Amino acid sequence: MRPITFTALSTVREALERPAGGSAYLAGGTTLIDLMKLEVMTPSHVLDIRRLPLRGIRRQSDTLVIGAMEHMSDVADHELVTGAYPVLAEALVQSASPQIRNMATIGGNLLQRTRCGYFRDTTTPCNKRAPGSGCPAIDGENRMHAIFGTSDACVATHPSDLAVALVALEASVLLRSRSGERSVRLDDFYRLPGSTPHQENQLLPGELVMGVSVPALSWARRSTYVKVRDRRSYEFALTSAAVAVDVKHGLIADARVAVGGVGTKPWRLSGVERALKGRPMRQDTFESAVARAADGARPLSHNGFKPALLRRTIVRALVKLAG
Amino acid sequence: MVTSSPGRSVDRVDGAAKVTGAAKYAADNRLPGIVHGHLVTSTIARGTIRSMDVRAARAAAGVIAVYTPADPLRLLPPQNPIIQIAGEARRPLQDREVRYHGQIIGLVVAETFEQARDAAALVRVTYRPHGDPLRASFAEAARDAVIPDPPWSQPVYFRADGVTPIDQALANSQVTVSATYDQPPKQHNAMEPHSAVAMWEGGRLTVYSGTQGPALHALEIAEALGVDKRNVHVISPYVGGGFGGKVVTWAPTLLAAAAARALGRPVKVVTTREQLFTVTGHRTEFTQQVTLGASRDGRLNAVKHEGVSNMLIENPTRVVGELYDSPNLHLVTRIATMDVPKTTIMRAPGYEAGSFALECAMDEMAGELGMDPVELRTKNDLTTSYPLPEASERLPFSSRHLKECYQVGARRFGWSRRRAEPRAVTDGDRLVGMGMASGVLPASQFVAAARVRFRANGTVNVASANADLGTGALTALAILGADSLGIPVDRVKPALGTSLLPVNWEGDAMMGAAGSAGTTTLASAVHTAARDAIKALIAHAVAHEASPFHGMDTEDVHYERGVLTAGAKSTPFGRLLTTTRTGGIEATTVAELKEEADRYAFASYAAYFCEVRVDRWTGEARLSRMTTVVDAGAIVNAKTARSQIVGGIIMSLGQALLEDARLEADTGRIANANLADYLLPVNADVPPLDVHFLDHPDTNYNHAGVRGLGELSSVGAAAAIANAVYNATGVRVRQLPITPDKLI
Repeated sequence: MRPITFTALSTVREALERPAGGSAYLAGGTTLIDLMKLEVMTPSHVLDIRRLPLRGIRRQSDTLVIGAMEHMSDVADHELVTGAYPVLAEALVQSASPQIRNMATIGGNLLQRTRCGYFRDTTTPCNKRAPGSGCPAIDGENRMHAIFGTSDACVATHPSDLAVALVALEASVLLRSRSGERSVRLDDFYRLPGSTPHQENQLLPGELVMGVSVPALSWARRSTYVKVRDRRSYEFALTSAAVAVDVKHGLIADARVAVGGVGTKPWRLSGVERALKGRPMRQDTFESAVARAADGARPLSHNGFKPALLRRTIVRALVKLAG
Repeated sequence: MVTSSPGRSVDRVDGAAKVTGAAKYAADNRLPGIVHGHLVTSTIARGTIRSMDVRAARAAAGVIAVYTPADPLRLLPPQNPIIQIAGEARRPLQDREVRYHGQIIGLVVAETFEQARDAAALVRVTYRPHGDPLRASFAEAARDAVIPDPPWSQPVYFRADGVTPIDQALANSQVTVSATYDQPPKQHNAMEPHSAVAMWEGGRLTVYSGTQGPALHALEIAEALGVDKRNVHVISPYVGGGFGGKVVTWAPTLLAAAAARALGRPVKVVTTREQLFTVTGHRTEFTQQVTLGASRDGRLNAVKHEGVSNMLIENPTRVVGELYDSPNLHLVTRIATMDVPKTTIMRAPGYEAGSFALECAMDEMAGELGMDPVELRTKNDLTTSYPLPEASERLPFSSRHLKECYQVGARRFGWSRRRAEPRAVTDGDRLVGMGMASGVLPASQFVAAARVRFRANGTVNVASANADLGTGALTALAILGADSLGIPVDRVKPALGTSLLPVNWEGDAMMGAAGSAGTTTLASAVHTAARDAIKALIAHAVAHEASPFHGMDTEDVHYERGVLTAGAKSTPFGRLLTTTRTGGIEATTVAELKEEADRYAFASYAAYFCEVRVDRWTGEARLSRMTTVVDAGAIVNAKTARSQIVGGIIMSLGQALLEDARLEADTGRIANANLADYLLPVNADVPPLDVHFLDHPDTNYNHAGVRGLGELSSVGAAAAIANAVYNATGVRVRQLPITPDKLI
């Protein structure tokens, strides 16, 4: 047996005072418990933070602040989210299943681990799970894997839909440790795998995700999340696109485009945003703007379709916003 | 007595037990002193086990025993050919060879499930890989595939003039289409995992284990353990899905029984969801080539259908022989040999894959001819059976209403609104297409035994050693009993699901609910047993001194609707038995099949009409509506029959759009061996499904007029969806599943 200690915490201070070595915070549990059963994650100490006061979905001046312990389902339904940030609500309701969304939290969603089958199977090598052991996905089963941000050590896709929408909205993650609080742009929070794919983000030992802040973006009312997948529900993205447009007098004044299912982290496409700006909100604009969306992509043996599907996914989102 | 009431819908007799959780499935049984076994599986596909270090496992808390090839539980190999083909000819732990990735190489038994699972993870194995190349690529294995020895999957060369080679007959045809169709391996993974609780008392073994045939299960367990079959008692009242995956006995049940004997304690083994992908059988991968030749007016002249599978009885080439009249047939199946987990029977073996290829090819032919797909099929509808190797003479069909299926289906669906040219209909950014296909399933029924027992409380027990896989067989049995005896359904107490019930140990009936023969088999068995039980009841009535019919001639006493009458005297059987102080009168009989069953050809039929919507940007294809019309003889219970058809269609939706076991050619490992990555349809994928039953009781087949339908809607429905995708997009996808990447 792998003995663990299980401690239910009630304050943030308690959570931060706990020793970091071999410990894991338990929020919704939809990643941690799953991966503990597979022995992919083997913490010695499980710190239950479900009672921590990290709830709340509120507007602070112009910014939307979401507590780390809010459930995905509650955020998806919230009036501050559905009206002002449809892309967020849509990304959430297209994630997982209702049962999982009722359990999983916003903080946990951002820290969820990849669905790469080799990462999840302890009988195979994986540089993310066992650094230096190798990456069978590069020459193995890689239909669902990334085409952006990959390295010779890892090609695992970042699985979160929510994170893609938040990157499009230039959201930040709020972190706290014993030495204080800091805010990190989500786009910067995630690291590329490089030669250290086991280091997935900027979270320091002993640091806790407190919440997420989403800056005001009035034109995010015109935003959407398109998720392309083999089956209609309860499935990760082949490709996805979080898109917002600011349309004035028929012209695109500004745009945000981030994509999922294709990157080792949520992938912002600033080039597509630039190509849309100043152009009419029309299909021909969309198609020319995405022409170079997949430049620099490195498709693998089973996912050669992803560059084309990605371009079409972005167009689909823009067509939806135009309609 | 003819049962013909397709509207009749009877609630499941065990519905309340199932929805309240009162129904006990195999793994729900907790016995005093029970211990738990957990399987250890191989992490290579081919080689020899060099060493298994079990010291840590043996030393772990709660561990009672660790069995390995070095310290095995002895299991004897199977004798029955069906088990050798559909099950594992080599039982696990009997040698050190690894033949596929995920093979059972150990069993850890501990006081608790968690202890067993934990200790199993502590077993350290080293292997010596074999030098010869791994045969895990189907495409490569297919090149070396061979036509099997008789009797399985034999070729058919049927020529109009007896001499013209098929390629010449095709060359002589005015129009030909030819294409290759592929489909990946698919997994069983029924809701209830394979699991067993085994307990010995003296020399007698009781096994709780989900099975399609309690008798065959008992026989196979007895053979594997070297004991008399009458000392093995299988209890399987509820089964969470069979689909062919629980016809033969898989190793977890055998190991539970063997460990229970070795340890002298009850043992439970539950296969994990991930282990089910490899330690129980799956459906083979297929490649098929179909070439059709026809005249310009759409009459088939030649059909060449060649297929390769990795399972001896998965013969995909026979579908045309049940559907279409062609003077020339060339049907050849080759069997490939691979180092992959065992292939087994799965819903509509041969017909599921074969119908996909043939019915897509027919759609391609209709397009080539510029003919409506319904018209092409109607024009080629078979009128008498082919003289195939299994049936040396042409037989008339007993009751074939496939054309009516087409007509009724087309009308209900609105087929006339279909535009023949692809990409002609859009709805916003979705391309809308319509497709259709035929379905067919040869009928089968087994000679089973049943018992009918009249009881003094006015009820009747009806029993047979068959199984209810979740299909509603128990309810069907009650209905068949009620119809045979002319009494209300709620006065019949049906029983299935143990090997202690009446068994015919001769022939195929031991397989129980297999080959869509569950209801047909029960129909004949119950009819015969009811007849004999009525005879026994009348004999009792005239013989017993307290009976009002005492001393009469049996021919003067008549049974009707639960009541005995003779002249002016009339007594319900319950009152008679109360009067005579008799608990019950019964007959146990082996079914007598109707003579007509040998004089005709029998099959069930379906026509599918469906609509799909394909996102023009992303290539996501979704089924939006579907009409299915079924000709399966009399329908015993419309409610559960509809569930069978709907279940098969959802399975076909998975076949068409989703299911894809991803086998790594270099390792033999299934890369998506879990239900998150192996995609099955979810509710959001399934639109409302219209199912309509024709009402043509087939009383040549049995007195109830029923043919099978359990597997029917796994035949052809996937082709209807693929044909609709083509109609929507103009893209003909011949490699399943039809995923977005294939449509952009």
